[in-house]
Amino acid sequence: MRILLFIIAMVSVSCTDMFDYSPYIVDFTPENSSVNARNIEQLKGQTPDDTITIVVTGDTHRAYDETASFVEYVSRMPRIDLLIHTGDFSDFGLPKQYEWINNILLRLKSPYFVTVGNHDLVGNGSYAYEKMFGEMNFSFIYSTVKFIFINTNSREYKFNGLVPDIKWLGNELNPDNEFGKAVVVFHTPPFDEDFDSSLETEFHSVIARNGNVLFTLHGHTHKHEITEPYQDNIPYINTYGVQQQCFYIIQISNDGFNIETVVF
Amino acid sequence: MDSILKRWSFSAGFIVILLFAFSGNADSQNSMLTDSSRFRKFLPDYVKFQYAGGIGFISTGAGYTFFNDKLDVSLFYSYVPHMISEDDLHSVSLQFTSRFLHYKLSENAEVLPLNLGFFIHHTFGNKYWISLPAHYPDNYYWWAPGRNAGLFVGGEIKTKLLSGVTPASGTAFYFRVGSRVLYLMNMVGNNEIPLDEVLELGFGLAIYR
Repeated sequence: MRILLFIIAMVSVSCTDMFDYSPYIVDFTPENSSVNARNIEQLKGQTPDDTITIVVTGDTHRAYDETASFVEYVSRMPRIDLLIHTGDFSDFGLPKQYEWINNILLRLKSPYFVTVGNHDLVGNGSYAYEKMFGEMNFSFIYSTVKFIFINTNSREYKFNGLVPDIKWLGNELNPDNEFGKAVVVFHTPPFDEDFDSSLETEFHSVIARNGNVLFTLHGHTHKHEITEPYQDNIPYINTYGVQQQCFYIIQISNDGFNIETVVF
Repeated sequence: MDSILKRWSFSAGFIVILLFAFSGNADSQNSMLTDSSRFRKFLPDYVKFQYAGGIGFISTGAGYTFFNDKLDVSLFYSYVPHMISEDDLHSVSLQFTSRFLHYKLSENAEVLPLNLGFFIHHTFGNKYWISLPAHYPDNYYWWAPGRNAGLFVGGEIKTKLLSGVTPASGTAFYFRVGSRVLYLMNMVGNNEIPLDEVLELGFGLAIYR
């Protein structure tokens, strides 16, 4: 009896973190909270030159070891301005899975930004996303380029007509003096069956409307390709999943942009 | 409305457990239950109160033992208050524990050092569906957030505590270390996830009839 109480006391003191109450408890450490806002601050501290270098990955799911190799590879590279994750950050939207992937991404020196994917929204995943990263629709300007991240996972909202928030996207893309070109990032592409088909045409027309979108980035389909699905010179770049052990480096300059594939 | 329902279901669940506890232990007080062996044999063999273990902040359960105490089946109702979680979480779990080893320490104490168990855990709420909702195509997601299964190992010490002063025959103290399939399968082929991250510790006590 005393021995048991002693054991319980010892275990309680040494591993309080392991007394789990539910797989749905969101109890992130400060470094695993408000990540996007923190990285926007880091980005503000950087001085851009005439070329912006971006690394793009996505669909990390349960590829923890591949994500770690990817992070190690990217950390050895010369100047990367920022890294973009096109969503499906977690495997089942479980808070622990959010932590496991983010603990790896925290090793990056460059600021990184995560789009919300459909897997990230299962269970109470949307709450976990908001606690870890912040708003699902967000944007920032770096140099003269505006980066816009938008939740396009319509199926997770039963195609209720509100996701993606096209009005918000339209406002973000309205030209002003703060930026010249824009990049739009989302997980589910508009031509996918998980995107609300009643919003597809409007979504793309808002993207094309002002002629200021350089390209869009998405994931979800686990295949890498660059297409112009609407034949209007706006490329849709489908990113490599980290499991494919490849990623894109995109360089944006005044002349436009170029893409390179890197194998890690 | 939702929160009223939740509060109601929590209270109802708690009352049911208390009734179990009362009926299981109050032999002398409740003549209707004790005098009739017909009722008595359906009474749970014990009630349990557990802290953590991946199923709730606090859990209350009842159950039966079979095959000369070698198998134990418990049904738990668990609660996580919204101070700890995003929202109040209510769940039930069914646990099967095999208890192969029994060592009698003395007349009053018995040690069960190796209990192996399996559990199914069901969390209530719209977000935690069990069968794929209609807005998904078939097999869109292969897992269900509302129902997880897992495994655990544990130990127990059974004592005669409370047996002299109450109708209970004894009190046991137990601990358990478990994990759930959704976590374990994320470890497969990955060195990046430390073992302690997937383990769920818990302890509790059981009052036997």
